[in-house]
Amino acid sequence: MKFWEIGKRNLKELYRNPILLGFLLGMPVAFMLVFCAAAGGGQAGPIALSIVDEDHSQTSSAFIQYLGGIEAIEVNEPVYSEKSQAQEDLEDSRISFYLLIPSGFEEAKQAQQTINLELAYKEADPMIGLQIKPIIEAVGSEFLGVAPPLNVELKGTESEIKNPVVNFYAPGMAVLGLMILISTAAEIIAADREKGFLARMFTTPARPWDFILGYSLPFIPVLIVSTFIYLGVGMALGLTVVGNLGHAFLIFFLIGLCGIAIGMIWGSLVKSESQAGVSWGFIIPIAMISGAFFTVEGMPSAVKSIAGALPFSHAVDASRAVLNGSSFSAIITDIYWLIGWAVVLFAVGIVLFRRRMVS
Amino acid sequence: MNAVQTFKLTKEFDGLVAVNGVDLEINKGELFSLLGPNGAGKTTTIRMLCCLLKPTRGTASILGYDIAKEPFEVKELIGVSPQDTILSERLNCWENLALIGKVHGLSSNEVEERSKELLETMGLMERAKDSVRKFSGGMKRRLSIAMALVSDPQVLFLDEPTLGLDPQARRTIWEYIAELKGKKTILLTTHYMEEADFLSDRIGIIDEGRVVALGTSQELKTNLLEMRSMVVSTGALTAEVLEDLRTKYSRLEMVKERLRISHKELDFKEIVDYLHSRGVTVYSAALEQPTLEDVFIQITGKRLRD
Repeated sequence: MKFWEIGKRNLKELYRNPILLGFLLGMPVAFMLVFCAAAGGGQAGPIALSIVDEDHSQTSSAFIQYLGGIEAIEVNEPVYSEKSQAQEDLEDSRISFYLLIPSGFEEAKQAQQTINLELAYKEADPMIGLQIKPIIEAVGSEFLGVAPPLNVELKGTESEIKNPVVNFYAPGMAVLGLMILISTAAEIIAADREKGFLARMFTTPARPWDFILGYSLPFIPVLIVSTFIYLGVGMALGLTVVGNLGHAFLIFFLIGLCGIAIGMIWGSLVKSESQAGVSWGFIIPIAMISGAFFTVEGMPSAVKSIAGALPFSHAVDASRAVLNGSSFSAIITDIYWLIGWAVVLFAVGIVLFRRRMVS
Repeated sequence: MNAVQTFKLTKEFDGLVAVNGVDLEINKGELFSLLGPNGAGKTTTIRMLCCLLKPTRGTASILGYDIAKEPFEVKELIGVSPQDTILSERLNCWENLALIGKVHGLSSNEVEERSKELLETMGLMERAKDSVRKFSGGMKRRLSIAMALVSDPQVLFLDEPTLGLDPQARRTIWEYIAELKGKKTILLTTHYMEEADFLSDRIGIIDEGRVVALGTSQELKTNLLEMRSMVVSTGALTAEVLEDLRTKYSRLEMVKERLRISHKELDFKEIVDYLHSRGVTVYSAALEQPTLEDVFIQITGKRLRD
């Protein structure tokens, strides 16, 4: 019955490790909570709708006002008067989509003719178009009455993109993939702590930043090669790069640095390699609200705020925008955000490491 | 200025006092041993002096630098060989030395020079390029000491440097440490009596976190001169004879056919006569000086075992 004795020992090890046990049991709960919240859940926040009013009529104004009264929609101000302005903002990712009310809208309503509304979105972000179309159809029919018939046409903007689904998911997958650096970096520090090697190194005059930089350094080549792999494999499998590849590389590099820095922080906090693995408990929820799987636009406002504060959604948004053709100026805020996060995270890592050098 | 000075140095872990008001003054160039059983507080004391643990109370300084306020200045001056032989297992012997040397700010040339010298001294030159994973316990321990020495520290901490080694490997390490005497200030912890006796200029006996005795080996033993010991080689002893002797003498040990008796006012002739009267053959009998073990038992009431 040796197996039984070994099994008993391992059960005790598990039950007496509250962090690991908490992770194993708490993870499924957290996973489902975050997944449902990110997917919109029962209390999805309003979707920000940009509108181009080419009709400039009382009816079109009344329709816009009517749309603004719908709980699921938040009408962006100001309403565009020219389609070209909205198109420019869409291409630079300042807006995710817009609804075009064409000239002749009022006349068509009065004549009870078919009314065509156009819902323009970025092809690389197909989810949002599919999400908003049924809402516009329902609200439009209600406003206009059953007759005249309403036709809402979904219209993607980038014809260069070969596979919109790949362009939507690939940047998110790359960012998610780079998050592996968090757990790996944390595990390496934790393993050295567990073996006592860190304690030996702490008796040398090396400073906290020497350790943080020293432990981060090996991951830089890994980060660079990984980024090449994500972009290269993505392009081989249908990722269309409309914008500047270098800008995309910069974004992935910066989010990778953030990942390494989070790994340094986590590695400073945990005591063992097994505890370091618990990092997946926050990596996966963060990934879910990063926009890698669901557009952040459709998330409840609280989740949207958290996602917006973290660097990951900025990396996903910016890389997606750049790959789909946005200019550098359109993503500069995201770049600043990522640089800021990287600096803050490394600074926090150094402070925490310093505290752990003496107990 | 003392090389190492502590004042009421205390460390508590969740209310458990591991080190309790330790006062030490170790002179420059002195080899000082902290002798005590496992859990006595030796390693905790060293960890505080190496700036790995913050004292709960009290102060300590290394060559005038406060361990709590000036840890990085302290670390510039010390070399540490921890109790667990911790090496970077995927590096070779040379690379392990270079790592510590360069972290201490040595140039490549200095590291090369120091490493060659140390590897020669420690008898590891032929294995310099081998992965340390293949090393025996004794070789790892020698490398660990070399790593502590590579920066040419002024104060060397050796925490149980021969723990778990066979007698031959232990003797080899002793010889290396003995060569350093006078050249470095060394604080060594051990629970081997003979190690402390053989190597130390002075010994501090530590028990339950307190330094209970302090002095040279001879001074500590001299304090026990009133305690005399004799060793008698005998034939077989009956349980009745042993019991009879135990009632009379405070300490009595029987190892194989050697009887060791320690007691104040020991009467050599009386014991031999008694054994003869009980029909026990006495092959030899001799008086012995007290050992550190006797000192330890006398002070703590406990035995210090390997």
